[in-house]
Amino acid sequence: MSNPALSDSGAAHAAPAQPTHRRFKRRSKRMKALLPYILVAPAVLYLMLITLYPGIFAITQSFYNVKFGPWQWAGFDNYTRLMGDYQFWGALWNTFVIGSISLILQCVIALALAFYAYRDPWVQGWRIIFLIPMLFMPSAVAFIYKLAFLDARVVADLFIRVGLLDGNVAWQSSTWLSRMILIIADVWQWTPFLFIIFVAGLQAQDEEVEEAARLDGASWYAIFWNISLPMMKPIIAVALILRAIDITTMFTNVFIITKGGPAFGTETISYFIYRTGFKFFNFGYASAASVIMLIITIIIAQFVVKRAFVSART
Amino acid sequence: MASARKRSRGESLALRYAILGAWALFCLVPVLWFLSIGLRPRTEIITPQPIYFPTFSLDAWHMIWEDWPMGKYLRNSVLAIIGSVIIDLVLAIPAAYSLSRFEYKGRDDIGFYILSTRMMAPAIVAVPIFFLFRNFGLLDTIWALMLIYAAINLSFVTWIIRSYMLDIPKELEDAAKTDGAGELRILWEIIIPAILPGIITASVIAMIFAINEFLFTLLIASTPDAYTMSVALANFTGGSDGVIYNAIALVAFLAFLPVFLVVVLIQKHLSRGLTMGAVKG
Repeated sequence: MSNPALSDSGAAHAAPAQPTHRRFKRRSKRMKALLPYILVAPAVLYLMLITLYPGIFAITQSFYNVKFGPWQWAGFDNYTRLMGDYQFWGALWNTFVIGSISLILQCVIALALAFYAYRDPWVQGWRIIFLIPMLFMPSAVAFIYKLAFLDARVVADLFIRVGLLDGNVAWQSSTWLSRMILIIADVWQWTPFLFIIFVAGLQAQDEEVEEAARLDGASWYAIFWNISLPMMKPIIAVALILRAIDITTMFTNVFIITKGGPAFGTETISYFIYRTGFKFFNFGYASAASVIMLIITIIIAQFVVKRAFVSART
Repeated sequence: MASARKRSRGESLALRYAILGAWALFCLVPVLWFLSIGLRPRTEIITPQPIYFPTFSLDAWHMIWEDWPMGKYLRNSVLAIIGSVIIDLVLAIPAAYSLSRFEYKGRDDIGFYILSTRMMAPAIVAVPIFFLFRNFGLLDTIWALMLIYAAINLSFVTWIIRSYMLDIPKELEDAAKTDGAGELRILWEIIIPAILPGIITASVIAMIFAINEFLFTLLIASTPDAYTMSVALANFTGGSDGVIYNAIALVAFLAFLPVFLVVVLIQKHLSRGLTMGAVKG
């Protein structure tokens, strides 16, 4: 992470050339030592306001029973209830299932598309076309899929027309079909995110290595698997982590398309917190769930994200 | 010449264009169909049999401007987004300068802390943020939206700008330093002009995320006074009328067009921006 090229800049300030104005010099020396902290402080303080403060607030609130009236001390009640709440575990499981299927599909599709597109003379054009879904508001995308699958039943109708189905499908009464709608919507909108990054990664690679392998008679796929892909690993890691963060916080599509149904089969953890907090006004309980999510997030941040971002930079 | 050299055995052009073409269709067909939803009368949207070739109608266009305060939603979105981007740049440029140009104790930890805030699920902080804004009387105002969008994007913006700053050769700075320029003057007169593409990329990406933001806006904005386009959509469900899809479709395209134009302009920088500078496209 540290940049060796910059490491001597501090030393350069410490030895100014002119020996005049000693007092001023000493003050300015201390100022210089403090300057980087002063520059970064406003951003850090601002971020603490929306992370540290809410974190402490959520931890405190999670030990209380907070409905409409005053807060009532509840000890670990919220947590013990949460541990026995099948809806909470279900939400964690749904988030994992929907998220991992969606992420794997996006990664595979984006890699395949990037592999075919990055050498294409029209790569700019492909990129612009593939980008389009990503630039719609997520709430609009949710409505596209709600209408296509559920309200206007266009998807079922098209399948009937080509003979793949012989009657209407009750998407909403099947957990897996409902999850599939969420997965398709997410894949449609966000595969381009990975595609753009992968194309950039492939284009940035040293062509001479590939050229040499090709002259040795290696096939395209062999070059891709044995040379391009291993070199892309850090980039793939960063891209997948960023995508994984957004997928695990999936809310908009659930809110608009499935409302968590049927029978909580598509309720993600974000929707669970929203529902307990802002629908049932059980804020203490929602906070307890938030705290558990927060702990999971911090663990993942420390062990996965830090390493990925550090290795991508080298 | 170049393409002839690059083509080699094992790769068939037909397969390449079949795959890319198929995905392009998959991207575009729902978009075009949704556009057709926006340009048809309400009676032809939810029907026993889907209608693929509807009659053309501008009903929805009149509806969004005449029956809804669309101008107000648009204004709320634009003000909240521009305000948030300004807050982000004011905070992020000095922070990125500090993280990229100085060597000091705790620097990497501070940098990682800033990065890690990107990982906070909105739902985790939603309840406390809701109470925070309620205590300050900021619920249902665009000020609250501005502050929250700025907070969401700050980590992104800082890291993107930092990445561009790391690319500036140190000689440029050293020359100015021997001329006796202070750090802040170097930042203002040399570094900021040199990383302008990075600042623009960061701003565009912050803008997109702010337009897309849904959960916080839903919680903070409870009346049309502070609705943005994104959340206004979810409220186009019109009560007993059901979801008014043609209006939703037109608003979606209204928000899409400017974003699309700007993104095409910064296309080259997009991959770098989207990975917070980790990938140099």
